[in-house]
Amino acid sequence: MLINIENLVTTFLSLSIAVYIVSFLLYLIRILKGPTIPDMVIAVDALGYDLAAFFVILSILFKTPILIGCAIVLALWIYAIDIYVSKYLEFKELGD
Amino acid sequence: MIDILNLILIIIGKILVVIGLICDLAASILMIRFPNFYVRLHALTVGSIGGAFVPMIGAGLIALGSTFLGNLRWFLAGGSFTTAFFTFILGGAGSHAIARATYRSKSAVMKPCYVDQLAEDKGGTEC
Repeated sequence: MLINIENLVTTFLSLSIAVYIVSFLLYLIRILKGPTIPDMVIAVDALGYDLAAFFVILSILFKTPILIGCAIVLALWIYAIDIYVSKYLEFKELGD
Repeated sequence: MIDILNLILIIIGKILVVIGLICDLAASILMIRFPNFYVRLHALTVGSIGGAFVPMIGAGLIALGSTFLGNLRWFLAGGSFTTAFFTFILGGAGSHAIARATYRSKSAVMKPCYVDQLAEDKGGTEC
């Protein structure tokens, strides 16, 4: 095969890291200056899901399977923070 | 033949990753620019489904086609498809939960307000 597949994939994924880092910084601005608590929480949500996708891309780039487990756990924790914060906002208590 | 199939998988995966990157950048800019919480929910779902679910599927397809990864590629593809499934289910459910709780507890101000049909149905004032 004339085309080198490894070169093709790693170059593309390395370039995509820059876009991810720019969007992380923009989400971080909203987390730091968000006027109310729900604003900060939805910014953390979006940051967390993007971080999970970033981990998947990094694990292909570094050829390591460890980061995939981190991505699955991160997606579940982001859902947990949604549910905890919404329960606290609605009933003003976290339950037993 | 197998090489051609791998190349097709990689190209489809790259197209999906590029769509995801565009959605991600758009969502992060809109998260800064939008005026209040209820409009920012739109940016959240663009960022979680378009910006995380689509590139995870694309990364899984790229991993399936990358023969230089060896046997590791099946593991990486399975993990990324699983993460994409969880994101697809839980992203929508989480954003609905936080929107409902915020509306009921009135903890976010609806500052430029044009229509509020939920309040009209309950007999309250509009906006």
